[in-house]
Amino acid sequence: MRLQLTDRDVRDRNASAWLVPAGQDRADHQARAGMRRFADSEELDMLIVGCGAGGSVLLQRLARAGWKVAALDAGPFWDPDRDWVSDELGSHRLYWTDPRVLAGEDPVPLGSNNSGRGVGGSMVHFAGYVPRFHPSDFRTYSADGVGADWPISYSDLKPYYEQLEAELPVAGQDWPWGDPHTYPHHAHPVSGNGEIFLRGAAATGTRARVGPVAIPNGRFGRRDHCIYRGFCLQGCKVNAKASPLVTHIPDALAHGAEVRANCTVSGLVLDEMGRACGARYFRGGVEHFQRARMVAVAGYSIETPRLLLLSAQRRYPNGLLNNHGQVGHYLMVQGAAQTSGRFDEEIRMYKGPPPEVSSEDFYETDPGKPYRRGFSVQNVSPLPITHAEHVSAQGHWGEVLREYMRDYVHWATLGSLCEFLPLYDNAVDLAEHTDRFGLPVARFTYTQCDNDRMLMTAAQEKMEQILTAAGACEVMTIKRYAHLVGGCRMSRTEQDGVVGPDLRSFAVPNLLVTDGSVLPTQGSANPALTIMALVARCADHLVAAGRAGADFSRRD
Amino acid sequence: MPFVPPSSRAVTPGGRGRFTGFDVLSEVDRWDDVTAGVVLARLSPPPEYSFFTPAEQATAGALFDRLLAQEDEPRVPVLELVDQRLALGMTDGWYYEDMPEDADAWRASLAALDDEAQQEHGAAFHALDRADQAGLLQALTEAEVWHGFNAGHVWSLWSRYACAAFYSHPWAWNEIGFGGPAYPRGYKNLGVGARERWEVPDGVGGDPVEWGERAEQARRSHRALAGPPGRRRAGLPQERPKA
Repeated sequence: MRLQLTDRDVRDRNASAWLVPAGQDRADHQARAGMRRFADSEELDMLIVGCGAGGSVLLQRLARAGWKVAALDAGPFWDPDRDWVSDELGSHRLYWTDPRVLAGEDPVPLGSNNSGRGVGGSMVHFAGYVPRFHPSDFRTYSADGVGADWPISYSDLKPYYEQLEAELPVAGQDWPWGDPHTYPHHAHPVSGNGEIFLRGAAATGTRARVGPVAIPNGRFGRRDHCIYRGFCLQGCKVNAKASPLVTHIPDALAHGAEVRANCTVSGLVLDEMGRACGARYFRGGVEHFQRARMVAVAGYSIETPRLLLLSAQRRYPNGLLNNHGQVGHYLMVQGAAQTSGRFDEEIRMYKGPPPEVSSEDFYETDPGKPYRRGFSVQNVSPLPITHAEHVSAQGHWGEVLREYMRDYVHWATLGSLCEFLPLYDNAVDLAEHTDRFGLPVARFTYTQCDNDRMLMTAAQEKMEQILTAAGACEVMTIKRYAHLVGGCRMSRTEQDGVVGPDLRSFAVPNLLVTDGSVLPTQGSANPALTIMALVARCADHLVAAGRAGADFSRRD
Repeated sequence: MPFVPPSSRAVTPGGRGRFTGFDVLSEVDRWDDVTAGVVLARLSPPPEYSFFTPAEQATAGALFDRLLAQEDEPRVPVLELVDQRLALGMTDGWYYEDMPEDADAWRASLAALDDEAQQEHGAAFHALDRADQAGLLQALTEAEVWHGFNAGHVWSLWSRYACAAFYSHPWAWNEIGFGGPAYPRGYKNLGVGARERWEVPDGVGGDPVEWGERAEQARRSHRALAGPPGRRRAGLPQERPKA
């Protein structure tokens, strides 16, 4: 299909790649300065809260359709040249570091690997893996009796996966798993870390493929070629790795959207008829109210439920949209044990992008195993501070920690993503602690179930086996977590979730949730591409319904 | 690159390292200015202490030296870097429900460590010899509850801050052979055994000792200091509820 695209089609679809200014600047300051700006009193067609994977795609799609649309974000409008550094500790500002309370039997640390801040969201510092979900992910309850069935199927999402893979664009080898497919760009070369995975996979009869990564292979438009510097998780200063800041936001601005950075939304407001009519937000210490005909919340799995709970009001005393006790629940993380192996040769895993090689051979339910669902295995490349966490997780400190760290260049690392199941009690609610705006912060409670624990152990054993087969003389594993999804899940009925398959909420039809919190299950795939695809599908429906003269304040 | 006296080149903490002559700072003119500013600031004289009280400073200083086995000069100024970080409130944001926020957790856990030293050895933590200090830390790692805290959460707090400070420092990168910042230069030679022309191979110093033996030596020297696992468990103070 892509061979039939004309240059002009690519220029239109990937316009943002040509919106990067000529010359040395990585951000288009003129476009930002000249961006359309709406007054608070002007009624927007859509107000979006949060400018990450979900919010940015919605903003871009609706702007292209001519809607009056603005997105607020609590964090800054990043300038990669000035704001980001090639340094682990110095990248602290990329994360959401407002206070949050962790509870439950298996509390999940937040911050660096699962929450973003600022325009672009956590895709600014995600590794770059963009696998699709498998068709089986959409019906785990019918097939395996665990998790939940989605109100849509893989085929509903497939055209949007293809769109987004072309928009980012994605590089990778032909993909044999799930619904087999190809990628727009050929796979990148691999570094020592990827070579080790391929070597171990061959020795264990495991299928492994290079990719899929949201890094074009080669110079793309005015986005420069990846320089394999290994700092994907610190924000790509090159503009090689895709994030909405590079892909969808510049395109949205070019089509008349507004991005209002450094604005913290403090409450969603309903009119006397119970329809969403805008949001209150803090800017420069002053509270404002932006009017809008529709509102989409896209603050991700912790902040979206928190904002809905903070927006409790007369009709919704337990939190907006929470009339069936669903807001904040069924929140999921993936079990993400990482295993490092020691090799006599030098690996130097800090070189090359951390996303390199993946295997989804263990993704599906294996009837021969005591657990349901599965896990994927991918390269990860911890930089020194993160590698030191791995070493200390073994109980090493003092001289032993130092000696293991002196050996850093000899270690290769694999990471797993285990499909932890959605459980009602894994949830966000409000803590007593308040933030500097005087608003209660989120409390995040997490406890694993037996299936989760079995998966994490199975993933660890598989990674140890692969690394040992590749020649590792010693392995070490750290049990950790990655990604967040759920918390405002999509369902067929209002008793089971917060939003329907079009991402409009059951309770307030002109209030949407357009981020990862709508996912009913999470598969063993990194969620970014699926979040974008779901929102692109939602935007298509909105635009089509809008053209047909739909009244969004009520359900059909 | 401005003038650097030979004594400031290829510095490693305590003069230890396996990458003889490797100096990540020799590449500083190939880093972008923003990154260079952030990294070089870690080498500049630290500001006055503004978070730790004098008593906390003494306890935390000894704690960091044991956690990171910094026994000799030159030392990475971990205490100063952590003090700055806490003064700026540069936390990860999250905290465990059974712990205070990081700043309060630091003050409370350092006070508990001093209490522990007094109970066990009748002196402040900083005044104990290295072996006694290390022994108290070893006991903490084997406990579930420590002075009313979840012991694992205290250990996580201490080791996270200590490791982040130590391994953010260019001297530590020299020690472990890490290439440091890489923009806009990037990497050209990827693959097992591949090096850039400025990277230094491991073991240039001619260390003939294999990895397994080196790791075992480190374990032996650690055990000689902190004692074998489990030895001090009996000496733990009575578990008591958090005040």
